[in-house]
Parts: sequence; structure tokens; C-alpha cells
Amino acid sequence: MADISVSHPVITPVRSAGYWQNVGARLVRDKTAMAAAAVLLLLLLAAIFAPLVAPLDPLEGRLVNRLKPIGTPGHVLGTDELGRDMLSRLIWGGRLSLLMGVTPVVMAFFLGSALGILAGYAGGWTNTLIMRTVDVFYAFPSVLLAVALSGALGAGLGNALLSLTVVFIPPIARVAESVTTRLRSSDFIEAARASGAGAFTIVRVHVLGNVLGPIFVYATSLIAVSMILASGLSFLGLGVRPPNPEWGLMLNTLRTAIYAQPWVAALPGAMIFMVSISFNLLSDGLRSAMEVRQ
Amino acid sequence: MTQTKPILIAALLASSVLTIPAAALAQDKILRIGMTAADIPRTLGQPDQGFEGNRFTGMTIYDGLTAWDLTKEDEASVVIPNLATSWAVNPDDTTKWVFNLRDDVTFHDGSAFNAEAVVWNVQKVLDESAAHFDASQVGVTASRMPTLRSARVIDEFTVELTTSEPDSFLPINLTNLFMASPAHWQAKFDETGNAEAAWAAFAADPSGTGPFRVTAFVPRERLELAPNANYWNPARTPKLDGVVLVPLPEANARTAALLSGQVDWIEAPSPDAIPQIEARGFTIYANPQPHVWPWQLSFAEGSPWLDRRVRHAANLCFDREELQILLGGYMGIPKGTVDPTHPWWGNPSFDIRYDLEEAQRLMTEAGFSADNPVKVKVQTSASGSGQMQPIPMNEYLQQSLRDCFFDVELDVIEWNTVFTNWRRGANDESANGAHAINVSFATMDPFFAMVRFTSTGTFPPVSNNWGLFGNDEFDALIADARTTFDDAARDAALARLHARIVEEAPFVWVAHDAGPRAMSTRVTGVVQPKSWFIDIAPMDMN
Amino acid sequence: MLGYTLRRIIYTAPVLFGVSVVCFALVHISPGDPLISILPADASVELQDRLRILYGFDRSYPEQFILWLGRALQGDLGTSIATGRPVTSEVMRAVGNTLMLAAVATFIGFVLGCFFGFVAGYFSNSPLDKAASAAAVFGVSVPHYWLGMVLVIIFSAQLGWLPAAGAGPGGSGQWKFDLEHLSYMILPAITMSVIPMGIIARTVRALVAEILAQEFVIGLRARGLSELGVFLHVVKNAAPTALAVMGVQLGYLLGGSILIETVFSWPGTGMLLNSAIFQRDLPLLQGTILVLALFFVVLNLAVDVMQSALDPRIKR
Repeated sequence: MADISVSHPVITPVRSAGYWQNVGARLVRDKTAMAAAAVLLLLLLAAIFAPLVAPLDPLEGRLVNRLKPIGTPGHVLGTDELGRDMLSRLIWGGRLSLLMGVTPVVMAFFLGSALGILAGYAGGWTNTLIMRTVDVFYAFPSVLLAVALSGALGAGLGNALLSLTVVFIPPIARVAESVTTRLRSSDFIEAARASGAGAFTIVRVHVLGNVLGPIFVYATSLIAVSMILASGLSFLGLGVRPPNPEWGLMLNTLRTAIYAQPWVAALPGAMIFMVSISFNLLSDGLRSAMEVRQ
Repeated sequence: MTQTKPILIAALLASSVLTIPAAALAQDKILRIGMTAADIPRTLGQPDQGFEGNRFTGMTIYDGLTAWDLTKEDEASVVIPNLATSWAVNPDDTTKWVFNLRDDVTFHDGSAFNAEAVVWNVQKVLDESAAHFDASQVGVTASRMPTLRSARVIDEFTVELTTSEPDSFLPINLTNLFMASPAHWQAKFDETGNAEAAWAAFAADPSGTGPFRVTAFVPRERLELAPNANYWNPARTPKLDGVVLVPLPEANARTAALLSGQVDWIEAPSPDAIPQIEARGFTIYANPQPHVWPWQLSFAEGSPWLDRRVRHAANLCFDREELQILLGGYMGIPKGTVDPTHPWWGNPSFDIRYDLEEAQRLMTEAGFSADNPVKVKVQTSASGSGQMQPIPMNEYLQQSLRDCFFDVELDVIEWNTVFTNWRRGANDESANGAHAINVSFATMDPFFAMVRFTSTGTFPPVSNNWGLFGNDEFDALIADARTTFDDAARDAALARLHARIVEEAPFVWVAHDAGPRAMSTRVTGVVQPKSWFIDIAPMDMN
Repeated sequence: MLGYTLRRIIYTAPVLFGVSVVCFALVHISPGDPLISILPADASVELQDRLRILYGFDRSYPEQFILWLGRALQGDLGTSIATGRPVTSEVMRAVGNTLMLAAVATFIGFVLGCFFGFVAGYFSNSPLDKAASAAAVFGVSVPHYWLGMVLVIIFSAQLGWLPAAGAGPGGSGQWKFDLEHLSYMILPAITMSVIPMGIIARTVRALVAEILAQEFVIGLRARGLSELGVFLHVVKNAAPTALAVMGVQLGYLLGGSILIETVFSWPGTGMLLNSAIFQRDLPLLQGTILVLALFFVVLNLAVDVMQSALDPRIKR
């Protein structure tokens, strides 16, 4: 699917608090990024407060009301194949869909960074062992790995999350390792060592400060990929199980209705698209805000 | 890379020219069919892909000794003579049958069909010592004729078949054994030198006695058939110039292929697409099939279904006519495993219908109420052969049964896993505490329709009596049917069995699949029988 | 250069071994009976055992792995359980079809991506940049299988301009590069091209903007070099990276075609993978994953080597 290679971030000595303020200020001035953030915030709040926001029960419907068009009184966005309210299902669906998109990246961010930093900082055999294993998984195209893993493990939310996490660990670990390795041999780490700082302090202050920022930006761009992949798994029948509302699964169960109610059937896809484009725009904004030189 | 350059340029050119006729105009009478299978069913005689395989690469290329009568729309399809003209069981030893064969039949390769060919075809799946024994065909074949053991030539056109126990279902089972050409296989064997390679070569260039022969085969994409001009049965000698089979597993792709004129016929259009398909001038053929979409109930210890009132209540508590809406009307409303017009019907005293009050009364009597609902767990899948639309249908049942104090939990797992669990039984840990399993089944053959679900001899892992339903009464009814060799008397015995099954209700009977298929109006001579099958041979195009 | 190439090739060997281990492990961690696709509901226990021995599933995992790998090295990936055909020929035919589709999609993606990327980079921060960048973000954000469904509805079902599914009127076996056959490829190729288009556009935009901002280029302009000269300079410097990204994208499309092939019934590796997963055809699943991963590794190797040859700045 999407390319998950990354341009290596520039290494500079520890960034000051002023730098981060500067980044924040630039980000706030970026109208596109702010609009994207607003959309995401709105969807997140709607998902969290779904029981309050959703007009109807997302699991309850009558077959006689099935596949009503958009604009039907009482069902603003129509109804699905079982007569359930689409608006309510889309709102509730945000919970699982956002969870499925974000969780694997978050987990991979922590695990991948930890592995990469450990490998980069320790060097030697530890590095070889970790990185060659990572390379093996990196040698699979991401979609193939995700589909093969969840196909092997069987359908289900847990298995889909696990597969996607495994997919995102290698690229993050590689970036973390390469940045850490270069950092380790750079002048200011040598200086810190010479001044008697312990290994833990060096990692905590210098490595984390320099490495996690860029990886974080990178990881935000992966969320969009993860959203599309996760919904793709559900679309293939390898992700979330019914009757839970989830956008990828809704797209799957509604796809045969595309001849009867094309607009209603297209809605879950539009939601995935909206979230994924918002994450991409926000990540772009963050990246360009961080590119500022001090 | 240099080689691909002109290709890329050509592709770019093509993408700028968008108005290309979707398919070459078919002047010849070539019938193009979009199947639901993801692959061409096997062509070597014993098809895979379930009954869709028999429908498209079995009955077209091959014949069995017996066949289903597919010429009537409004009567149950019954077994009729085919390559065998008549048969009889040996009255002294009812495990031995004599089949008299047609003497005017040749295979596509020109060799003659005779008793030796029948023996050879029995050996291909049942005699491990035979040179042409093929383990890969055993799986799809042996279970469909569970008692057949061997065959023996009596004279050129007479053959004797032996079963492991007296079994009056044998002639029905034999619709599933297709006659491949021994001479053609031998030629392939002489070319390749080993049996496995010979079968592979035979599959690519098959030879049967059927109304069509294979002319081109692209695995996973396309099978082309041409008429067999020398076919022995004039009523089934094709008028078409050819048939093309295309696997199109994705329902929307299938519909789009029909609407854009890529194919003339699609199997199982999605009910939601049917109005548009009809609006565009295509014809929908449908007829309730010998198929049941059930909840098969557990009689294991502690199951709430042990109380017959609860079983009856569940059968009465949902409106099957409303469920029909979900399926666009393409669903038969079951009154039992077979319908009242069927010879096995037998007038059961329990009337399966929608009667909410009676259901609630039964449940109250059984001690349940809105505050004290009965918890039931049902294992099902999100897809699968014959499963229709399992998720929406189960969700509908879940909603409806709430009115009769059922608290239904759905355990949705992968289709192959459900199918495996079906053989393990309600007591197995694979059941995951479920009280019912949702696996649909075909009902053409009495063993598959009834016996395997109601005999104590078919408890898991032997067969699919998942719910462990059975007792002496049912075993006696089954033995009676199996050992009655007069057709009418056998059907009467089966009717007694069926009536008792409906009365005891080891199932919740939810739906019969109507098996809709959509065809271009150019296709004529279509008869949609009450069967999983349809006969392509008499069709024509204009 | 030669040294680097050799080092890269040698370094690839252990990765390939790891990949084969993962492929084997992947399909064996799955629950359920591997013979389910050919075992009927009523197969006897004896029949199950007999088939298990016949297909070698009675052996221990290490034994099965070594046997499988040994045969795979000789080009024999076993026999498909569901069809009885050799896995190698099944996979190779499918790879050919997917490669054809992926190559066309990558090409479309490359041309459009470069166009949008150059426009955006050249007119950085102008409305043109905004429009071109929007197209790029669309490419990387749209759920492509959904886009494919929408395109089928519009162009096949409603307008009837293009075929909806399959690889040509006679199947891929009779594929020809004429208009009729190519019309089958248009929708899937366009759908498949949106992601590489987006990624290439974003890469090229960043490259172009970076190159144009270099003092060297500003100097060239100041010394009166024509705009064409500047453009050629930009192209020369952006090309290696853009081509490398294209190469990697081709690899991703090869391995990631499952969703699109499912929507368009394109007879490639994705369809094969899909039916292997849902029929639980282990030899076919193993073989398909292995071949796709091999392609990906070799393609990445080739891209690396080519890039280091093309781009003098990369010293390794």
C-alpha cells in the first residue's frame, strides 16, 4: 500500500523549550493543519460521547426500514441493510475505526522506538540481532504482511490490531536505529560521555529528545496508512466482526447495496477518507513546522 | 525494462480513449456465465466447489449412471435413469445392485462407454490399489456415496455395485459419480508416465460423455465448452454454439459484468442489485431450492433447547415474511426440511409459522419471562457457501427472538472454522459454549437432508449430528427407510421420519434459498427447477 | 560500486532465509485443519489420516519446513490442495498478471506524480501548488478499494464504457496489447495508481523545492542560465530518488494488490492469496507469500544498487 519509507531527520543537539514553542506557534498558524485537527477532534469527541451524540441505537433497526435514502425524516443519513440509522452507526463506528487506525501505530511507536534505540545505542551483536530480525519483516510489502498475518490468525479485532502492529514496527525501528546510531557517534554525545554522564542519562536526554520528535511526526503519517489498511482488512472479512459498527466492515456489508442506495453505501468510505486525509494534513503541518531551523 | 516500454505507452493511449465497446458483440450463440466460485471447479470428473461445481463442470461435461430430473419447474426434482437405463437390488442380498447400461454412448475421445468404464470410475475413488486411484477426488466423492464399496462387470452393458450395508439411497448417491473416459486417461498416462500427472493432463483436456466438451481452459479465469454433436440424448443435445464459464466471486463485480454485457448470466446476484438488474431488462430466475438455512439446536446437557416448548417457541417467534424483505423476496418460507409438495413431507402435526402469542405462551409455560430471559449462544459465520446473508439474517433473529424472552448471543467465526466445528459437536470445546450452530445444508439426498442429523450413529466425529439429537425411535425410522427398496415405500418411510423431525424440532427452520440467477433475455429455453441444479444443455440464444 | 553491490547481495541471503521461515511459520500458526478445503463434511477419520500422510502434514514442523524449502530452492512449491495443480505454475501465472497491472499502474502513478510534484515544487506555496498538493494528498488518503467500487459503478454499471472485471475477453491466457484487452485494465490500473501517484508527487515536490532552494541553483539563475537549463538541472538531480521511489512502489503494488484484485476479479496474486486464505490452501498460501516477498526483496536490492550507481552523492 503506501510507502512507509521516511526521510531521515536532521540531527541537532538537544532542542530547547523555545524550539518546541516555535514549532507550536507555526503549527497553529497553519490553517490547513488546524482545520484537519479540528475535524479529527470533532470526530474523536463524537466517538467518545457516542451514547449522548448518536440519535438512535446503532444496533437496532427494522427490516421494513432498510436502505432508506439520505434525508429520510428521522434518519438524516438514511439506514443500512438492516434498517439501522446510518448517522448513529457512523458515530459509533468512529470508536472502533479510530481505535483500529491509531492503536497499532501507537503500539508500534513505543515498541519500534524501543527496539531501534536499544539496537542503535547498544550496537554490536544486540544491534545485529534486532535489526536483522526487523529486516526480515521489513522485507514483506506492508499489505501482504498484514493480510497474511490476519489471514493466518483468523478474523477478529485483536488479531487485526496485532497484525498491523507487526507491520508498523519495522519501519519505525529502522528509523529509530539509524538516527540513534548516528547520534551515538556525534560530537555532543561524545562530549556528554566525556563529562561523565551515565548511559541512561544520555539516552534519556539526548537520544530521546532528538529521536522521538521525528519518529512521532513519522508515526502520525502512518495513522492514515493504518486507517486504510485496517478498514481494508475488515473489508476483506479479516477485521472487526459484526454486528459492531466499524467503517471498513460497514463498507463491506453495504457494498452490495451500492446499486440500491449508492450514496448511503459510499458513506463509510467517505468517513475513512476524511479521517485519513485529516491525519495526513496534520502530519504534513507538523513536519513543516518542525523543519524550522533555529 | 525496455520491453515493457511500448506496453506502457499503449496503455496510456488506451486510457485516453475511454469509449470502447464493453465486449465484442457476440454473434455466435455463446452463453457466458459468471459463477460465484473463485476458481473453475475441477474438470476431471469429480468437481469441487460444492454443488456449483457439479452444476457447471459435472453435468455439462459428464454424465452419471443416474441424474436429477431438471425439466419441471413446479414439482420436486427426482432421480431418473441416465447412463443406466434401469437398476434393481438383489432380493437375496440387498447389498448388491445390478445396473443396466445404455449401449449407444461414446466418450468425447470416441471410446465406448461400457461396464468396464463404470468399474474403472468406481475404482478411481474407492480402490487404492488401482493405478488410476486419485486421492484428491476421494474427498468430494466418497462422502456423497458413503456406502458404495466396489463394482464388478457382469457383461458388456451390465454392472454389479456392492454397498457396505443395505442402502436404498444408492441410486440417489450415484448422481454424484461422473463417468470419465478410461481410454483417454490411459493415453495421458502413457504420455506422462505417472498417475498424478495423468490426472493433471486429463483435467486440462477432459473427456466424458456429457452434452458439452472442453475446448479451452485457463485455470482460475475461464473454461470454454463446445457442444458434443454426438450426444446420446436428443433432448439434451445442445443448440448453443458454446458455453464460457468465468469465476466472479465478488458479488458487485458479477453484477457489473452482467450489466456491462461481459456475461449473459450470473449466479446469485445480490438481492439489493436485483431491482436495477431487472430495470435494465434482464430476467431473474428463482425457485426455492432443496436447501435449509437453520439453527441446528444442541441437546447436550444443560442446553435450554432440551425443552421442546422452547424449540417450538423459537420456530414461532419470528416473521419469515419480513425476513424475505431483507432477501429481496428471494427466499422460500420453510414448513419443515422439505415442503408440503415433497414426497417426504408426511404431514407433521407441528405447523411452523409466525405466531408471537403462542410462542410467548410456550415460553411463559416453560418458565421464562422478560425479566428472566433464556440465554442462547449461536455459532455462525460472516460468509460461506449456501449461508445466504448470515450476519443480517442472524441479527434479525436476535432482534425478533427478544420478544419471546430469548437473549441471543452471536459467536461469529470464520466459515471454515464453523464448518470444522460442525463435525465436532456441541459437547466439544470448539463449540465455545454455543447452544446452536448455523450451517446451511442441501436436502436432495435423504442422508444429507435428515439421517445425518437425527441418527445416534452419526454423532460427531462420524458425521454432522452436531446437536447430539437421536434416540431409538429415530434410529428405527431411519433403518426402516434405508432397507425399503421399493421407491414409493421408501419415500413413505422417509415421510414418517420427516414428520417426526418437524414435530420434535431439532432445528429452527429459518429459510430456503431461492437461488436467484440473472440472465440476459437473449437466453431462451431456461427451466429453473426446484433444485440446486439447472440444465444448460437445452438452452438456446437468439 | 561493485563491492557495494556484492555486499548488498550477500547481505540479502540471510534476509531471504528469514523470509522463508516467516512464510512457513505464518501459515502454520493458523488454527483449523489444513485439509479442510478437500475434506468433505462427512469424511471418515481414516480418510482424514490417509490424506494427511499423503500431503505430508503428519510430519513434524522442522521436517516439513526443510522438505518445503529444499523443494522450493529447486523451483517446486508443492501442489495446491484445492486444485491439485502445481503451486509454482499457479503463482507464476498470477505474478505475470499482477506484474503487468502493477507496472502500468506504477507508470501512470509516476507520470501523474511527477507532473503534480513538479508543478507543486516549482510554484511552491502558490494556488497551483495547493491544487497539485491536494491531488497528492488525495492519492495517499483515499481508500483505494472503495474508489475502485465507485469507478465500477460509474463507468461499467451505469455508463457501460468499460468492462467491470477480469483480464480480457479470453482471460489472461489470450492477453494481447490491443484496445479491447487494455480496456479491461483501465479501471484497475487507475485505481491502483492513486497511491504511487500521491507518494511520488509528494516526494518530487519536496525534492524540487529543495533543489531550487539550493544556493547553487540561485547562483545559476543569477548568472543568467535559462529556465530550461535550471529545469534540466532539477530533473537531473531529482531523477534518481524519484526513480527509486517508483521502484519501491512497484514492489508495494505487487504485494498489495489483494484489495484491488478482489474488487476487479483481476486474476493475479491478490486473487490467488484471497482464495488461498479463504480455502485454507496452505501450500498455495505459503508459495504465494514467498514468491511475492522474494520479488520485493530483489526489487529493493535492484533499486538500491541502481540508485547508488545513478546518484553520485550516495557514497557507501
